[in-house]
Order: sequence, then structure tokens, then C-alpha cells
Amino acid sequence: MSPRLARIGLFVAAASAPVVFVLVPIAAFLIMSFWRVETSQLVPDMTVANYAAFFASDTYPRVFIETLQLCAIVAVIGVALGYPIAYLIWRQHGRLRYVLLLLFAIPLFMSYIVKIYTMRSILGLQGFLNQGLVTLGILDQPSLLFIYNRLAILLTMAVIFLPFAILPIYLSLERIPRSLVHASADLGGAPLASFRYVILPLSAPGTIVGALFVFVLALGDFITPQMVGGPSGFTIGRVIWSQFGLAFNWPFGAAMASLLLLVAFVVISLAALIARRQRV
Amino acid sequence: MATRGERIFDIFLWLLAGLVFVVLYAPVAISALFSIVEVRRGDILWETATLEWYARLWQNQSIMDAIRLTLVVGATSVVLSAMLAVALALYVTREDALGRRFIELAVYLPFLLPPIVTGLALLMFFSQVGVSRGAVAVIIGHGAFVLAVIYRLVVTRLQSLPASLVEASSDLGATRWQTFRHVLWPQIAPAVVTGSILALALSFDETLITSFLAGNEMTLPIRLWAMMRVGFTPEINALVTVVLLVSIALTIVIGLRLRAGGRE
Amino acid sequence: MTVLLELDAVSKSYGATEVLRPTSLEVKDGEFLTILGPSGSGKTTILRLVGGFARPTAGRIRFDGADVTNVPTHKRPFNTVFQDYALFPHMNVARNVGYGLMLRRRPKREIENRVAETLEVVGLSGMLDRYPSQLSGGQRQRVALARALVCDPRLILLDEPLAALDAGLRRQMQLFLKSLQRQVRTTFLFVTHDQEEATTMSDRIVVMNVGHIEQIGTPRDIYYAPASRFVAEFFGDNNILGGTISDGRLQCALGAFPAPPALVEGSAALAAIRPEKVRLGTAAEPADIVFTAAVIDVVFAGAITQVLLRPNASPEAIITAKLTSGAAIGSLAPDASVEVRIAREDAVILPAASP
Repeated sequence: MSPRLARIGLFVAAASAPVVFVLVPIAAFLIMSFWRVETSQLVPDMTVANYAAFFASDTYPRVFIETLQLCAIVAVIGVALGYPIAYLIWRQHGRLRYVLLLLFAIPLFMSYIVKIYTMRSILGLQGFLNQGLVTLGILDQPSLLFIYNRLAILLTMAVIFLPFAILPIYLSLERIPRSLVHASADLGGAPLASFRYVILPLSAPGTIVGALFVFVLALGDFITPQMVGGPSGFTIGRVIWSQFGLAFNWPFGAAMASLLLLVAFVVISLAALIARRQRV
Repeated sequence: MATRGERIFDIFLWLLAGLVFVVLYAPVAISALFSIVEVRRGDILWETATLEWYARLWQNQSIMDAIRLTLVVGATSVVLSAMLAVALALYVTREDALGRRFIELAVYLPFLLPPIVTGLALLMFFSQVGVSRGAVAVIIGHGAFVLAVIYRLVVTRLQSLPASLVEASSDLGATRWQTFRHVLWPQIAPAVVTGSILALALSFDETLITSFLAGNEMTLPIRLWAMMRVGFTPEINALVTVVLLVSIALTIVIGLRLRAGGRE
Repeated sequence: MTVLLELDAVSKSYGATEVLRPTSLEVKDGEFLTILGPSGSGKTTILRLVGGFARPTAGRIRFDGADVTNVPTHKRPFNTVFQDYALFPHMNVARNVGYGLMLRRRPKREIENRVAETLEVVGLSGMLDRYPSQLSGGQRQRVALARALVCDPRLILLDEPLAALDAGLRRQMQLFLKSLQRQVRTTFLFVTHDQEEATTMSDRIVVMNVGHIEQIGTPRDIYYAPASRFVAEFFGDNNILGGTISDGRLQCALGAFPAPPALVEGSAALAAIRPEKVRLGTAAEPADIVFTAAVIDVVFAGAITQVLLRPNASPEAIITAKLTSGAAIGSLAPDASVEVRIAREDAVILPAASP
């Protein structure tokens, strides 16, 4: 075998598993978004009817936009809470810093389902939040304000995905050499000025990456809306999921998921671009 | 020296962190609470406090089946992924590797994409090639998902090794296999182990991809999801408490390993 | 000259480890003072304490008569050139250099002019728009200098700023730094582990070892009159001969050297002799110590040739001689027997134990 052929052979061997189990399925589902369903049977076709149906619909585009808004707010909350916490961890030294980091990383690995369940027992009509508010006299009686609506999805997602924001922000802070902070102080920068002119600009890329990360995570979540969203809390993820259950319209689901993939792809590329620029 | 303003700001940061900490750890506290006492209409009935549920935990057949499947899926998918990750990492770090970026893209995609996309893509693909929903589909799904983590750690370790290491080994007459066995493997083994523990933790909790692929064979998160619709019983809360403590322990192990690795 | 910076019994401990013993030091206005020592000697700690990046465990630091011990870094009226330069990677050269002025809210026009002037002083005109990642090591070094100079501080702290440069560039920067310091008339407090660097640039040198000062003096003082064995060995090469004090002289295997009266009778002491003071086979002066030795090796190093010698009277002591290269020395062969002479007053007699 010629060396060139051997090289190609090795590449094919190496690439086979990722191609078969990742790229082909993604291609398959993109193709299937052009199929149609007839009497509960998938029919191979080449029609844009699914996409047309999506955009012609009264509800779906609105749900899609509202989902993007929701995810954006979740991302903003993630950064608004995550940045101060990451900053606090970064300011500590030695063991305390490490322990704090671990404490805020552990929730990443806590059961996702249990987190939703917990949020439900906090936000519910008989939940701890309502009880607390009634005890404090802020509410006269327990309210349904916090459960089975968009706010409930927002709060639950914010809690679940917050640790995903803290970590990248912390990592971008950690990459700032201490000597830069010292240099800023040395040249007369009070803590606030040093933060504004040195720490914030240098950690901004990591922070944006963290926000985009949370955005994508929230975008793909369909169990949270289903469990705490109630009848009014529809998100695109939940709509897609229903196409694979009761509605049984896989091609339509695939078409909507393709749109979701498009958004996710743009966001991820943006994050990759920012991350690369930061390294320079 | 900290000024007054800085000190107030610091106190504010600590308060915020404390509050977030309480919310993030609420799952442990609430599950533990519900596993010990009964809560009726939002009132905690302290007189019902008992540890009995922990003893009965093992009697719920469907839960035990779910745990068994979760462990089987985790172990199988992690072992397969680890082997594939090492092979891919070795290939990609070769000087004459073709399509590096292409392979890396395929490896990272399932980790980066929304799980809903990965899950339904695999479901639709499997339905066309005749793999039905169930354990095998879930194992492949988890394998594709956790591959990125192990691969990332192994490839980072391999890239940090000087190229002269391999050159020295072959210069001394080692075959490719001997070089791997005696030179490279000892260097990457810690990364493989850390990556595998991390992957196991991810697989253990994976819900979204699994929900598309599981069918009637339910892993623990899927079983819990099904049970959540009716509300958890005290014994489920007992189980969840145990599961949470195990995943916390696992995370601490990962944290310690990553820290030790970073110090090398 | 007035005292600009004063360290008064300043010490620093981390937990139980004392990295700096109580140390007092005066830096005079306008001088180039170098703190020289091996790693772990406490030299960088002094700089960090002066810069305000760490607080002393005890003692006071005064600048121009005012106590600055607890003044935060950003309110201290002097600037630092960091070892890794610490240039802000997201700012171009102009913004890096102008940073201090910007923080002081100077008018834009003034900042531009000052930045341009300062960059000219350090020889970096026309690089305003470059980013640190686009500069060479030497250029970054100059930007870091300009950034520290631009606010006209009366004192500049330099933390091994030349350590990252290659040898040729380093020598060039040493001369540049010295002339720059004369030109801007600013006090330089320079930290290094490189003895040659310290010698070339400094008005005075502070030699440090394991957390305390061994000696303070001009480069000449320290070279010709080291105060301790550590200084004798660390600051340039020295032949060290051990012996005992008796009759006011140091008695060692090769002969007796007159000892200073401070050394106690019977105590262990040593003689430090510079290799260039060791002579071979020339006419003897009355004050010389003379002994025969075997040549071990002859190492040619351009203008200088090093000869390693084993004295017959004391075979375990190896004496190095640095001689001007020439035909006679070049023809010396290993194992040749030579006559070695050392003038008695060329030996510095020191107590064997550190004070």
C-alpha cells in the first residue's frame, strides 16, 4: 500500500465512528425535516411543507421568538448572578478559593430532574416561597404567581443553569495574570478603576461565552417547561418534544429542531469566535 | 487596605454567594427533609420523622431496575467512549493526521449542540437503520455525548507531552505498540481515568437525550421524571438524597483529581 | 543626598516562615540602588513590600519622610517595572503608556504629548498603535519602562526586568537603563540575581541572602572588601582558604595572612583571594606567599586564561588563577609544576561562620 493510501485508510478508520454516530444522524434528521407523514407513516419526500407550515402558523413563530427571549433572560440572569460569584471566588486565595469553586461546581452534577422537582416544591402553591411570603406578611394567601407559567420556567432554568455560567466566567478571570492587576494599582488605579479598565475588559469574552453557553442549554431544555410551565408556558423545545409523542409528526418536529439547530449553531460559532480572539 | 466601600461591597458579594449557595443546594436539603418527615399542605409534620424509608429503599422494584440500567449504560458507554477517545486522540496528535478539525468537530458536536437535537437526530437515524429504542440506543447516545469530555482531557495531555518522548522511544527500538504501552499510556492514564469519572457523572444524570432513546427501558432520571408527575414518595426522596450525595462525592473526586493534575 | 525611601526594621512572614528578617535600608534620592541575591533571599519581597503588593509583618516604610506602610498601592507615588512587564494585552502601546495619566484624568492632549515624549526617551517612537502581542521582548521591556516613567515618579521599582531577555539584548539594556536613569534623574530600585548586571549599573548594591542583608556598598567596596563568606562567593569568583586565627594572623596550609583585630584568637576563619590576584612564577615581592603547585587544567577564554592549580602543601584545595592570555601561559601543560605567588594584602580575611 502506498503511504498516501495508508494515510487515507487511517483517516477513514479514525473518522468512521464519529461520522456514523454523530454526523450521519444529524444529516439524517436534517433530511427528514423535508419528509412528510401520511397515515402515521413516514414518507420520504423533498418538501418544504414543514417549514412552510411553521412560518404560516399563528402560534409557532411566536413561541419560537418567546423562547429566544426567555433563554436570553436566563442567560442575562446567569451572568448577573454568576459574575459577582465568580469574581468573589477569584478574589480568594489558596484553599478557600478552591473550596468555593468546588462548592459552586458541584451543583453541575446534581440530578437535573431532582433540581426541577425541588424548584417545583419551592415555587408551588404550597411551596416554601409562598409559605415564606405569607409568614412574612407580604402575601395574604399563597399565590400561583410562581408556578405553571413563564416566570416559573425562567426561575427554574436560571437556578439550574447558573453554575454553567459561573465556571467559564471564573476561568476567564483566572487567566488574567495577577501582575496586570498589580500594574494597574501601581499606576494609580483605585480598585474600581482597575476593575473597569483591566479586569472587566479581559474577562468580558469569557463572560459572553458563559452567557451563550447558558443560552444554548436553556434553548434545548424541554423538561423544565413541561414540568413547571403549565398550560401557558410553551417553549419551542416543548413543542418539538410533543411532535415525538402524542402529535407524532417527526418531520415537523425535525423541521423545528433544524431551526433551533440553526440558532444554536450561530450562537456556538459566535462563542467559538470570541473564545479564540481571547487567546490572542 | 480595604476602604469602607470595598468592605461593604465584599459583604454584599458574600451575601449574594450565600443566597445562591442555599438555592443551589436546596435539592439536597429538600430531598433529605422529605425523606425523613411528611409534608402535608406545606406544613412539615415533625412528629412523622423517621429513617425507615432509607431501609425500605431497596424494595421498590422499578427504581432498582432503573438504577441497574443506569449503571450498565454508564459503565458500557464510558468504557466504549474512553477507548474511542484514546484512539482518536492518538490519531489526531499524529503528525500526518488528516482532517483533524473535521474529526474534532464531530467529537465535540454532541456536547455542544442542544441535547434535544442530538437526541432526536439519533432517534430518527436509529429508526431508519432498525435500532429500536432501548438500552442499546441509550448506550450509543450516552457514548456520543460523553466522548467529547474524555477526548478533550486525553488530547490536552497528549499535546502537553514533548514530541521527543515518542521519538526517543522509537529511537531506542520500540515498536509503535511498545511506545504506546510503556511511554504514552502511563502519561495519559490519569487523564483517561479523570475523564471517565467525569463521563460517568454526566451519563448518570443524562436526561434529555435519553428521553428520546429510552423507550420502555428507563434509566433513573427518566424513571424519576415519570414519577415526578405524581409526586415523590418519601422513599423516592430517600433514594434521591442518596443519589445526590453520591454525585457530590463523585464531583469532589473529579475536583481533587483535576487539581492534582493541574499541579503536575 | 537626602534619603528618599526608608525601610525601618521591616520584616515579612508567611505563617511560620520568615521570608524577610527585620531589615533596615535607606535609598537616597537620585541613586541607582540594586538589591542583589539568589532566589529566596528576600529581594523580591522587599520590592513587593515597597510597591504595596504585600504588607510587612512588622516595621515601617517611609517615603520622603511620610509613612506609607499602610498606604494602598494605587496611592503610592512610585511605579514598578514588572518582571513579566505586565502590559495590558487589550490596550495598544499608546493606551498602555498613557494608562497612569488617564487615571489621573489629565487632558487628552497632554496625555498624547507625554506618551509621545516618553516613548521617544525609551526609543520606541512610532509604535503607538501596536499591541503587546505584536512587539518583541525588548520592545515590550521599553513599553513597560515608558509606562512607569510617564507619570514622572521620583522612584521606580524594577523587578528583574531584564531576566527574560537574551544575553546580547540584556547587555545593551543594562547600558541603556543606566543612561536613562541619569537622563531622567529618577531614583531606581532594581532587583536582580545577576551579579554582573548589578555591578555594571548600580551606584550602590545591597547583597541579600536568606532573608537578610549581607552587605551594602558600592560595587567596588563589595568586590574588594566582601563582608562575609557568602558575599565573597556570590559576588564574583574567589578562592577560599580555611584556617585558624593565631598571633593575629590567619594560619592556613599555604601560609599566614595578617588578620583584622576583630577576629578572635583561635577562631576559625578564611581567606578570600580573587583569581586575578594569583600570580605564577614572576619575581617575588617580600610580602608574598609563595608555594609550588601542580597544574590541573588550563582553560583559554579569550583575553583571560584560567589555570586550575593543586598546591603541593594542600592537595585538596584547588586554586584558580585568572591570567592575561599569552604564549607563556598557553604552553603550560597539565601536571607541570609551577611557583604560585599571592600578595598578603590581596587576601580578605573573614570569619568562617556568618555573623
